[in-house]
Amino acid sequence: MRLLKEIIQEILESYPAEQRFSLPAMQDMQRRLGYVPREGLEATSARLGRPLSALYAMASFYKALSLKPKGKYVIRLCDGTACHLKGEPLLLSSLRGELGIGAGETTADGLFSLETVNCLGSCSIAPAMMIGDKYYGKVTPGSLSALIASYRKEAAG
Amino acid sequence: MEIRINGTSYPAEAGEFVLNVARRNLIPIPTLCHHDGLPEQGCCRLCLVEIGEGSRSRIVTACVYPVSEGLEVRTDTEEVAAIRRQNLALLRLRAPEAERVRQLCAYYHVPEDSRFEAMSGERCVMCGLCARACAVLGTGAISTVNRGVIKKVAPPYEEAPVSCIGCGSCAEVCPTKAIPVEQTRETREIWGRTFKMAKCSRCGEPYTTEEAARHAAGIAGLDDAGFCPDCRSRRVGEVMRGVYGR
Repeated sequence: MRLLKEIIQEILESYPAEQRFSLPAMQDMQRRLGYVPREGLEATSARLGRPLSALYAMASFYKALSLKPKGKYVIRLCDGTACHLKGEPLLLSSLRGELGIGAGETTADGLFSLETVNCLGSCSIAPAMMIGDKYYGKVTPGSLSALIASYRKEAAG
Repeated sequence: MEIRINGTSYPAEAGEFVLNVARRNLIPIPTLCHHDGLPEQGCCRLCLVEIGEGSRSRIVTACVYPVSEGLEVRTDTEEVAAIRRQNLALLRLRAPEAERVRQLCAYYHVPEDSRFEAMSGERCVMCGLCARACAVLGTGAISTVNRGVIKKVAPPYEEAPVSCIGCGSCAEVCPTKAIPVEQTRETREIWGRTFKMAKCSRCGEPYTTEEAARHAAGIAGLDDAGFCPDCRSRRVGEVMRGVYGR
């Protein structure tokens, strides 16, 4: 993998050095690195001449930006009204048992991150969740367990 | 132009806000997030006033509402008073340790009881004036971080900020004295950092930190400001005496 510094530099150089491009640059870092590293904020601050505090304020404000590295697979568990009533709390506790993490945390092996989200727009298949960019509907603790196992297998190659 | 506040006409300039005109004419409107030297924040919601006539009347934020010819403003209606009490009650729950909020609550007769639980030990009303002052001064060491109920004022990564110059402006503009500063003749402690005080080159009194003195001198284009505010005015006085005297 290329150096973090090089990727950050490449992202920053793809935009003119203007204040209005600080958010797009941070979004690119999130996409390519899975998080917005401190080095990234500091480099953005130096390039745009903006205080680090202003960038940190933005990075900590938006949920789409993460200041800590996310796992390889980001699990988004829907906690909208329909999914909540259809058993999301049960899924959350079985994920805790399966992965040993709660919402907003990442497993120690860096494989999974867990987030609860307000709605995935898939109420018809409640309870719904996403792993990466794939949707899963009508999830039960049993099917969840099998899913996690299959992702573990995929990661192991 | 002229605007009317509580039935009396007052002169106003285009570009002014209702609060400016009211304050100039000693009409009381409470505020927390307003500071004369900084852009308006419009977030403490205490300066609400009523504008317009009859069914077209509405509540607006006086500190950011621009004046216009013939504008009717009322600061003392029952509705304004009720909203003000409500907002003060919420601010008191947010910052129960803030002396200024308690004073305002007493002054505007805000009932003591509430069905909500107060935050414990909090002084900050999250107006953001401190972060604004820091940014305007060109330091930008602190900002508001996070969002929602965990939002707060902090330096990046919540570490002692390297860019802080210890000028104390954040603590100075804070309406509720929520930013702790420890100061002796020799040092000032703020945001987890300790700064050495600069002494006035004339009277020897400490007047700001060495970093802040350098920063100010840099902005003013001088090698070093070197004087405390008192000695600076004295020196200007002496120069002026030389100009006009004799």
